[in-house]
Amino acid sequence: MKKILALTLAALMLLSMTACGAAKKDDVLEPAGEEATEAPAEEEATEAPAEEEAAEETPAAEEEDAEEEPAEDSDLAYVQDKGTLVVGITEFEPMDYKDEDGNWIGFDADMAAAFAESLGVEAEFVEIDWDNKELELKNQSIDVVWNGMTLTDEVTTAMECSNAYCNNAQTVILPADQADKYKTAEDMADLVFAVEVGSAGKEQVEALGYEYTEVQTQADALLQVKAGSADAAVIDLLMAAAMVGEGTSYADLTNTVNLNSEEYGVGFRKGSDLAAALNDFFAESYADGTMEQIAETYGVQASLIEQK
Amino acid sequence: MQQMLQQFPVVVSALNVGFLQTLKLFFVTGLGAIPLGLVIAFGSMSRFRPLSLLTRLVVWVIRGTPLMIQLLIIYYFPGIVLGHNVWGSGEAGRFLASAIAFIFNYACYFSEIYRGGIQSVPVGQQEAGLVLGMTRWQIFYKVTLLQVVKRIVPPMSNEIITLVKDTALARIIALQEIIWAGQSFLKGSHGIAGALWPLFFTAVYYLIFNGLVTVGLGRLEKRLDYFR
Repeated sequence: MKKILALTLAALMLLSMTACGAAKKDDVLEPAGEEATEAPAEEEATEAPAEEEAAEETPAAEEEDAEEEPAEDSDLAYVQDKGTLVVGITEFEPMDYKDEDGNWIGFDADMAAAFAESLGVEAEFVEIDWDNKELELKNQSIDVVWNGMTLTDEVTTAMECSNAYCNNAQTVILPADQADKYKTAEDMADLVFAVEVGSAGKEQVEALGYEYTEVQTQADALLQVKAGSADAAVIDLLMAAAMVGEGTSYADLTNTVNLNSEEYGVGFRKGSDLAAALNDFFAESYADGTMEQIAETYGVQASLIEQK
Repeated sequence: MQQMLQQFPVVVSALNVGFLQTLKLFFVTGLGAIPLGLVIAFGSMSRFRPLSLLTRLVVWVIRGTPLMIQLLIIYYFPGIVLGHNVWGSGEAGRFLASAIAFIFNYACYFSEIYRGGIQSVPVGQQEAGLVLGMTRWQIFYKVTLLQVVKRIVPPMSNEIITLVKDTALARIIALQEIIWAGQSFLKGSHGIAGALWPLFFTAVYYLIFNGLVTVGLGRLEKRLDYFR
């Protein structure tokens, strides 16, 4: 009983200390005595401007965008002027990943380097947080998102996208010992899915009307299945090939049904002329066979889309 | 297990690179925030009313908003709203932005610890100093400070240990610290894909480093054990 009383008193004391900390201090250093009454008034006064600030931010950002578009007539000239094409990526085998020496390789990385060379600039690879890819583009901390990006409606409205260059699908990942029970998407109605937030996989599960949990990354979605907190995950087929099965931490998971088919594209700042330049480059390198050659190096030639 | 042993050297070398970035951010923040905190503490205790109000406003805003949001604003605000990205595109700019956000954030917390420490010294000592004809600066330097330093070590230790782990927040603007490095093996890096253990293994780095920090701060506390 005594202990509880002491604890409550201590908590009350803490509260009162934070409340009159400011007034106390002034008593010590200043002779004036009205501080105690002034303190609450201060707080009110300070709150207002900060709230305004927060409210102002979003409209300001939008206005700026609208103004920027005409000024950004030639993104191509901007990139050539500074001499580097900054490519925003995440590690994603087999599209963009580091080899044992720490160099960026992969189908997308090699194509990006070749594209930069054709523009007479150097490619610089920068790892980004995938959630912030649109921010990074607008912020000019990257010039292009080139990382096995599925062309969804969200992506095509937020960015200037190239033609699709690679086929992909959303595939269902299940524990290997469960895979026999679920042969089609209809069989899976009673499963709880884990999907990446804002991903193409989420859209698929949502369309089927199945129960799902959103997680931060596709890798997290796999983790959920492995840990048993979700029955199944939906991730990119090209990624599933690298991430589950023998030789990975997910040897007891397997990919089963493909829910859809979709395409990969490359994203630039809205209104950028680099997208058109890349389409020309794709057509050229498809015609002379270099694109297919690079695709073969990373085993994605079967998914390649013809470029015209 | 066999496979993990094979992966071990590659993973550890990648995690070391990440941890170096973590350490860099930790030390830069410490070196910047410890003195800046004192400046802010003096500001908030200033007898010049506008200055103390302004400082307290800043401290309120910084302590009242998540560090993660502060990182996002500092890194993205110049490029998106002002139309000119002052940080550049590479890792160096991301580090600089993180360092500034961390220094400011921690300086504000430190300043309150300093203020608490300074105000915990009885007023009677200041009055005694004044009676003896000492200046305010002399009183602070020769009477107050010695007592403040030893009193603030335990709360400062708390903040410093938190700082070690908070550096992981910088990954929101894609600073490649150790957790980022650990996570990259999930998607595939250095020829290893779908490996889960490196992410969990990063905890060992934090634990060992915080062990060292705790021992160091414990020693410091013992050395400051005067006036008994």
